[in-house]
Amino acid sequence: MFHEKQSGPAAAAALEAVGYRVGQQLAERYTRDKPRLGDALEIIKFVCKDFWQALFKKQVDNLKTNHRGVYVLQDNGFRWLQRLSAPPPGSDPAREEAARQLALSYLHLPAGIVRGALCHLGVSCTVEPDPKQLPSCTFTVRVM
Amino acid sequence: MGIAAVAFIGPQNNPLYLRSMDPSPSDDQYMKLHYVVHCALDAVEEKVLLKRGPSDSQDAYLGLLYPTEDYRVYGYLTNSHVKIILLFDDEGTIKNEMVLRVFRRLHALYVDTASNPFHSFGLPIRSGRFEAQLEGIVAVAPKPGASLGGFMT
Repeated sequence: MFHEKQSGPAAAAALEAVGYRVGQQLAERYTRDKPRLGDALEIIKFVCKDFWQALFKKQVDNLKTNHRGVYVLQDNGFRWLQRLSAPPPGSDPAREEAARQLALSYLHLPAGIVRGALCHLGVSCTVEPDPKQLPSCTFTVRVM
Repeated sequence: MGIAAVAFIGPQNNPLYLRSMDPSPSDDQYMKLHYVVHCALDAVEEKVLLKRGPSDSQDAYLGLLYPTEDYRVYGYLTNSHVKIILLFDDEGTIKNEMVLRVFRRLHALYVDTASNPFHSFGLPIRSGRFEAQLEGIVAVAPKPGASLGGFMT
């Protein structure tokens, strides 16, 4: 019950909103000395490279797109999940799902930051985090 | 040569800040400045479209947008689509490097102001610190007869 209150949808939305604002401000600062970015792909690339480097001290490992407004950013060693211990491989699916849910609550803030940065640079989108296998995770960006 | 007015325009072409460097501007003058800056937005859009070439890298500094009878209008477009417009008096020569330097400092000032947790994006800028620092930046190219940065003896 307590845990639900602490990490329910309201808390997730609040964390996302905080991240959104932080993302806006960071995007403003990190693009200050850059030449103007062009289309959506260039903006996403900026977020994958420079922005990720500044925030998480590494670049996104893999960027996939269907060229129709969906981008999947995959980070194989997401910094903010590095210290969470993963369930041993081959453990039962229920346990893995529990770990996933737990890790997910740590991803609302970074997802908000990414969304804030993208929206501020002119790509209005939704960002959906998914910790597949700790500490790797993916962010699915859907351009609206 | 001197800066007559500074304007910050938001991503949706919403005015964030307009300031005349005249010590005592009249309402008419403000209307005129609003008009000139408004026209400048069209010129900004045009410049952005023209620069949409395949290879050339796009600089934030847009250069001279257009000259009017009284002013020369310069523009700068940031990555977050905030436009900074500078109005220079139409006297003497204006060095591009100097204009660029002023723009860079104004941009840095805007970034610092936006980092304030009490700043809200899209709303007009109300900050004493912003105003004070802006005056300092603009004083690099003072308007003849204006009191900014001047030294009374």
